[in-house]
Amino acid sequence: MPPFAGSNTSSNGVHRHDSNSNSNIVTIDVGGQIFQTTKQTLSLAGSKSFFSKISNSDSMIPFIDRDPELFSILLSLLRTGNLPSKAKSFNIQDLIFESQFYGIENLLVNSQSNPSQFDAFNLEKSSLLPLNGRDSPTSISTTPYGSLHIAHGSKVTSFDWSLQRKSTILTQFTAIDSLFALSPTIAAAGATDFSGLQILDLEKGFVKETLNWENVTKSGSTVQAISASPDHLFTSFESSRRNSNCIMVYDLNDNLRPVTKIGHYEIYGADLDSAIPSTKLQWVSSHNLLMSSGSHSGPSGVLGNIKFWDIRSGNVVCELKEKVDCFADVTASNVLGGMFKVGVNTGEIFFADLRNMDSDSNSWICLGDGRKVANGKKEGFGCKIESHGNQVFCSKGGNLELWSEVAMNRAERDESDLSERIFRKNLMGRAKDMGGNRITNFHFGGSKMFITRKDQQCVEVWSSVCGF
Amino acid sequence: MDDPTGGERIKLNVGGKLFETTVSTLRSGGPDSLLSALSNRPAHDPVFIDRDPGIFSTLLSLLRSNRLPSTAKRFSNQELIDEAIYFGIESQLRSALAPTRLNGIDASVFTTVKPSSDGVVSDFNAIESDGSLWVAHGGQITVYDWNLSHTETVRTHLDFITSVRRIHSEIAAVGSLNGSGLHLYNTANGRRVHSAEWVDPSDVRIYKARVHAIADSDDSIFASYNCHHGENCILMLDKSTMRVSSEIGRITGNSSKNMVPTKLKYVPDMGILIGSSVTSGSFGCAGYIRLWDPRTRNVVWETNEPGSGRSSRFGDSFADTDVDVDELSLFKICSKSGDLAMADLRKLSDDPWVYLKEKNPSMSNLGGNGGGNFAVHCYRKQVFVGREGELEVWSRIEGNDENEGVYMYRRNCVDKLEDSERGVIKKIEGGGDRLFVTRENAEGIEVWQSSHNSGVVSVL
Repeated sequence: MPPFAGSNTSSNGVHRHDSNSNSNIVTIDVGGQIFQTTKQTLSLAGSKSFFSKISNSDSMIPFIDRDPELFSILLSLLRTGNLPSKAKSFNIQDLIFESQFYGIENLLVNSQSNPSQFDAFNLEKSSLLPLNGRDSPTSISTTPYGSLHIAHGSKVTSFDWSLQRKSTILTQFTAIDSLFALSPTIAAAGATDFSGLQILDLEKGFVKETLNWENVTKSGSTVQAISASPDHLFTSFESSRRNSNCIMVYDLNDNLRPVTKIGHYEIYGADLDSAIPSTKLQWVSSHNLLMSSGSHSGPSGVLGNIKFWDIRSGNVVCELKEKVDCFADVTASNVLGGMFKVGVNTGEIFFADLRNMDSDSNSWICLGDGRKVANGKKEGFGCKIESHGNQVFCSKGGNLELWSEVAMNRAERDESDLSERIFRKNLMGRAKDMGGNRITNFHFGGSKMFITRKDQQCVEVWSSVCGF
Repeated sequence: MDDPTGGERIKLNVGGKLFETTVSTLRSGGPDSLLSALSNRPAHDPVFIDRDPGIFSTLLSLLRSNRLPSTAKRFSNQELIDEAIYFGIESQLRSALAPTRLNGIDASVFTTVKPSSDGVVSDFNAIESDGSLWVAHGGQITVYDWNLSHTETVRTHLDFITSVRRIHSEIAAVGSLNGSGLHLYNTANGRRVHSAEWVDPSDVRIYKARVHAIADSDDSIFASYNCHHGENCILMLDKSTMRVSSEIGRITGNSSKNMVPTKLKYVPDMGILIGSSVTSGSFGCAGYIRLWDPRTRNVVWETNEPGSGRSSRFGDSFADTDVDVDELSLFKICSKSGDLAMADLRKLSDDPWVYLKEKNPSMSNLGGNGGGNFAVHCYRKQVFVGREGELEVWSRIEGNDENEGVYMYRRNCVDKLEDSERGVIKKIEGGGDRLFVTRENAEGIEVWQSSHNSGVVSVL
């Protein structure tokens, strides 16, 4: 942020009144009040904004017929990149609308809902977003700057990044099991009982496109999981007859053109492993790999597999078969360079380093009580695990655990010695926020975390609370 | 909106505070407004207006951005309206204050309109154009304007009004099951303007007929009359002369097939009048739907239940019906199964009904229990159904293949469980972008609205 106009400024930020700097100072009359700023400040709004027109106009003092008080807030935002404290007495909706008029909403979003402001240790339950009707949320999705989409029943309700505005649309699904936000107004949706992946326009409420996998049996293809990398959209399909499955890759930059198909399995005979479709997809950007995982609960216990795919070649780079204490949920962390799972039997958290993976399950290191015997109980059933930033979040019943690595300052640390890495957990929230109904989904967006619980028609918002 | 940098600039001094804006902004209130009159003054000094500057700055923001700023919350709606009327920009304020498009899948109770006496509402009429409300409670008619603020109350000579309908901007037609005739009241001065009794010089038994339902078209009023011995008909009155212009569908009323119509609706696009009647007893429901052409006074189509229709639906006669006058379709709710069925008014046959399928597994445990109380209302391409205390909506799914003629409808609850415990839903009617609901033995009228406001609740 350069608050100084050009090089000919004194060190205390006051402009010298010579002819050269005068040309840099812009005087604007907004609704009868005179404001002075510099061309540099106005140029921060971007070339497409309203201000670039102003600073280029030759008229004496440009007049803008808008509210001067709101303008003074937005001018401070332009100057510093932050909202001044006096903005608290204004309604955020007014500021959003005014910033849209001037074409600088992105600056406002950056200052108010920036993912860099996310601080897991400083999260507390701050507000509830009620949902109309009687359906509980089935899946939620967020954009990086905190827009939120919630599927409940056959409806999708979208909240803008400020969580002040909402809109609801009706879909053809009876319930949406996978929802993935592609932008604040577009989401991909699929269900395990409905054929096809639908790209929904959440503003106008229509299906922009339906993507389908033409399987061999010519039956419908249900959607098991959706994820995306910066360039591709991944969808795990299973045929309606449940005898084949695959992961389709679509190009996000080219009208969702199908790029390739990976992991196509047709099921013959009793090969159980190939019958398990991927129910979770995650793009591991640090390794340029797609992680897919799926599990099957049978009489002999829960079996699962985790595969890492190279999208370009369509090959499995490494595969983990889970037989003992299979994952209830698994996630990969780019920052921590590892994979975390919650064991379905023990309910404990396990860690595996992505650098030395081999195909036997011994690469898992238990972060909790490792002596727990898998005695047929399913303590981890229904637990969800997600990584965000440099931390890992795991839901257990109504509680949320936060796992973080303790940085140990040891210069001679042996990189290959995994046992040297120390992870510690915290239970999130104040005493009054703990417990409650089982957590069904949690997601991160902007500086906030969103939680949905069983049988509750609302979304909990956990946000980092700023000081005074 | 014009380019806000351009245009002729004008200075205003409102109550001592200086404002500067452009002529085009002031003129956006319309040519007749005070503000555009001021904008024509060739004054160089600021024009002085002796009004409150706080409200003015809110209204100026409205003119500049077509949106009410949050500062409007400092003032009551009535204050804003009065001030907007003063400056002549009421229409701008109206559109800014109006609720967002009624979306049944995303609506909640906004407020409850309660008359100050005789709070249990017996009938009401919501006006589609602006969402104002004409309410009958006890022997009174109360009018609430587009902002739902009380406009006037008229005491009628009737003890208990059971049907009310707005006929003109200031004329209400009322009928009662306890007193004979149709009566027209001027709500502005509270006077009875006209009365219409059903008389037949050739039949002395026709006297003291009571009005059960009222409908109107652009030039006529339709009212269904019923005598003590069950004989009934629909009288058509000319709105300009207030004379009875014809008698439609006179029947004896000795069985459920020829009871008096308790619901009347006029379909302007087809020029037909639709009447229906349902009686329910221990054996179930029985009733009819009948379509008349008021010009020829002939029955165009009719269906009786039980009796006509699909044999598989024999014991499942309808409990309530409604007409979607925009989409020209007829809806009925079945009394036993609780299913909703629709029929195309342009393609009526012996069994025109298409039963809408329930596809939402989580809804299958709701409703469907026989012998319940049902209310159906079509509004803005949605069908609202009251089942006992529960309010649900059937909405069309966008992007459907419309060529098939039958849309895919999806059923959703509008209310929450706690809403349904307030009592059995008696009447549902839409007006403006609001949905009004009355419940049995509950005071007032619930107002349901959709909103883009997220309603976020802080729990810190």
